Amino acid sequence: MLVALGAIFIPLFSPYGYAKQNLDALLQEPSWSHLLGTDELGRDVFTRLFYGARTSLAVGLFAQFVVIAIGLPIGAISAYAGGRTDNMIMRFVDVMFAFPDILLIILIRAILGGSIYMIFLAIGLVAWVNVARLVRGQILSLKQRDFVTAARAMGAPGRHIVLRHLLPNSLGPIIVLVTFGIPRAIFAEAALSYIGIGIPPPTPSWGTMIRDGYDLIFAAPHLVLFPAIAIGILMLAFTFLGDGLRDALDPRLRR
Amino acid sequence: MGDKTLIEIKNLKMYFPITSGLFLQKSIAAVKAIDDVSFSIRKGETLGLVGESGCGKTTVGKCILQLYRPTHGEVLFEGNNLCQLSNKQLRPLRQKLQVIFQDPYESLNPRFTAADIIGEPLKIHGIVRGREYRKRIEEVLDIVGLAPYMVNRYPHEFSGGQRQRLGIARALALQPSFIVCDEPISALDVSIQAQIINLLDDLQREFDITYLFISHDLSVVRHISNRVAVMYLGKLVEVADRDELYKAPLHPYTQALLSAVPIPDPAVEAQRSVIVLKGEVPSPINPPSGCVFHPRCYKAFEPCPTVVPQLEDIGDGHYVACHLYPTPQYEV
Amino acid sequence: MSTLLQVRNLSTYFYTQDGVVKAVQDVSYEVAKGETIALVGESGCGKTVSALSILRLIPEPPGKIVAGQVMFDGTDLLKLSKGEMQQIRGAKISMIFQEPMTSLNPVLTIGRQLTETLEFHQGMKRKDALNEAIRLSKLVGIPHAEHRVKDYPHHFSGGMRQRVMMAMAISCQPQLIIADEPTTAVDVTIQAQLLEMIRDITNTLGTSVILITHNLGIVARYAQRVYVMYAGRIVEQGPAQAIYHDPRHPYTIGLLASVPRLDEPRKVRLAPIEGQPPDLIFPPVGCSFCPRCSQANSSCQENGHELVEVAPGHFTACGVACKELRHGR
Repeated sequence: MLVALGAIFIPLFSPYGYAKQNLDALLQEPSWSHLLGTDELGRDVFTRLFYGARTSLAVGLFAQFVVIAIGLPIGAISAYAGGRTDNMIMRFVDVMFAFPDILLIILIRAILGGSIYMIFLAIGLVAWVNVARLVRGQILSLKQRDFVTAARAMGAPGRHIVLRHLLPNSLGPIIVLVTFGIPRAIFAEAALSYIGIGIPPPTPSWGTMIRDGYDLIFAAPHLVLFPAIAIGILMLAFTFLGDGLRDALDPRLRR
Repeated sequence: MGDKTLIEIKNLKMYFPITSGLFLQKSIAAVKAIDDVSFSIRKGETLGLVGESGCGKTTVGKCILQLYRPTHGEVLFEGNNLCQLSNKQLRPLRQKLQVIFQDPYESLNPRFTAADIIGEPLKIHGIVRGREYRKRIEEVLDIVGLAPYMVNRYPHEFSGGQRQRLGIARALALQPSFIVCDEPISALDVSIQAQIINLLDDLQREFDITYLFISHDLSVVRHISNRVAVMYLGKLVEVADRDELYKAPLHPYTQALLSAVPIPDPAVEAQRSVIVLKGEVPSPINPPSGCVFHPRCYKAFEPCPTVVPQLEDIGDGHYVACHLYPTPQYEV
Repeated sequence: MSTLLQVRNLSTYFYTQDGVVKAVQDVSYEVAKGETIALVGESGCGKTVSALSILRLIPEPPGKIVAGQVMFDGTDLLKLSKGEMQQIRGAKISMIFQEPMTSLNPVLTIGRQLTETLEFHQGMKRKDALNEAIRLSKLVGIPHAEHRVKDYPHHFSGGMRQRVMMAMAISCQPQLIIADEPTTAVDVTIQAQLLEMIRDITNTLGTSVILITHNLGIVARYAQRVYVMYAGRIVEQGPAQAIYHDPRHPYTIGLLASVPRLDEPRKVRLAPIEGQPPDLIFPPVGCSFCPRCSQANSSCQENGHELVEVAPGHFTACGVACKELRHGR
């Protein structure tokens, strides 16, 4: 867990300005003055990596907020209400699921423009479906359990049952899904930047860095390598975070 | 123990529809879980409801508490028909009607402490606050035989028997007058079962609680009930005072049921012969015509496959739904 | 009556994160040819684990049979190789489990599951095996056997599935059948059907049975000799009559007293055994029943678990009971 926390907070520090260009020092190999080298415009890779981290993380986190904000209530309401409501909502979810993600994102971009907030929203809007499904599945199975029936028998209102019984007990898999979703969102952002509809320059994000560096991959592999490694490490970090969180929240493991 | 009727069930039917269809779910058949059941329970008494799986006894319990809304029929509690009340109207009444479940592992929220579990009904109904709240929780814990220091423990830290006590504590928190005990000891070890039975007995005496005791364990039911009702495939086949039923069971199903229960005594067992019913319990979706028991009944005769027997009063509060009683109607 | 199976000083432990669970400690019992014995006890007493140890079905890790011998027809089963053991399982000794839902393979028809055993152990050809499968199904009371062998387990009710298990168990004419709580998951009337069927078949074929259960009634009806287990050990053993009419261990006495009986006048209050079953990782020193025992005296903490004969064939591990105790019935 410590590794995870560390990985998240380190990217917040950095000495260099990210956009500063040092035209004298183009395409340098990693050296002591520029720890990870420079890119084709002379910018320090190390700095860009860390600023990029901020961006990428922001994308990841906020996208997931959108995902939870939409997916959780829809899934929960659908499952709790049951019957025709559930049916209708799930058909809608299925339709959304079938929709090709990229097309939807392009559509949203066309409507909302290219700001970074658009990216959060766009990624979030295509990913909430999985959370909704998962939440619904969890709640449907929990609904049957005796302790929920007990709550109904004592006259608990629906709101209470969902908030205090159903949701807390379904958190486990949801946390895992959401924490995995963060690196996946980052990945998605990287892909978007790669095809050019992601974060606009000069703001660095790991995705844009890979994009920009790809053209020079044989001459200067460090431009692609470091962001890629960074993404990998982040994904690992979040995996541990997810596991750790899930275990921490399980009362059975408390001694 | 007064003579006042606390609960009365009239012509209760609970059919669960089986649907199919993609958008509009059409009902193509129904599981007849309860098919026209009527009985009453007096204040302070324990009515044992026995039968095997699929007979509908658990559903009866849930229908009384309106956890399922009956398809048809009335559930009268202190004279009020619960079926006609909305959920909101029911809420205050729920304080008086409680339930204890079978599975001590499933019936408690694993994320709640013991205090949360017992306190939840208190919070929902806004009964007590602050220090009174804690006091009440500890009181109830004490009543069920758990120590007050266990208040902050989680269910997984208790044993099966202790969890069942927690479940009972939860039911008691609101000082109910009626509790549906749905197989409360089946999931417990034999040596713990007796503890819980004694507890339930004591509680009844001390707080004048009325029980509907649902179980498939005939020996236990005999111990704790005042009257016993036997169900088969959604119908009541026999109701009688406890001693009467066990001494002189009239319905062939009751007789088979009792003979199937082995008695812990080899000498006695060597003398007994077991009535072995042929076949399996039919599906409640398509129950047999006439008397639902007739395909397996070793005493079936002429009218059984066609005419549905009604629950008849044989005298002394003994009711049977069988063509053999009061006198077999032979058609020559 | 010659002895078919003899378990001697069996100990099986489970090595877990929380400690070593001593599921079975120094347990010995035997079954004669054609006899039905019962292992009685509550959950966690070790009866199932001891039976699984006989067939070496204990997952290793975390389990391990740490001591003892299982003598079957002159051979120690614990010393056999995996291949040799496979020859025994299903053919010489077979087992019926508690949960009919999970003991049958859901993707194979029951006919196939039956023929599998026959082909493996008896080398039958498919066609012969199928005929035999049908015959066995009829024997255990499955109606319309010729058609039903083509059905899958989920087409059968719980009681029927147990019959299928029984058919599988007897298919190779085993000498011993271990029935582990065969009727716990079914209703009383089905239980009666199944147990009567098991008795009829085993009497006809002369098969020995180890009946594992917590139901004292079933034991009284079907077993000739009884072994009472508590906390991984045998606390009392003897002929059924003796155990029920003259129990000599406080646990046995407690159990019998706490179960309401249909044939006796109703007691006003049941006499439960106070307390909780013991922790098998840290079992009590001395007699493991001591903390819950109403007859305990100072020597109980030190005395071991020696089984002492108090009457012909009747042994108890209770130091107090050997000398003075009589139940009050």
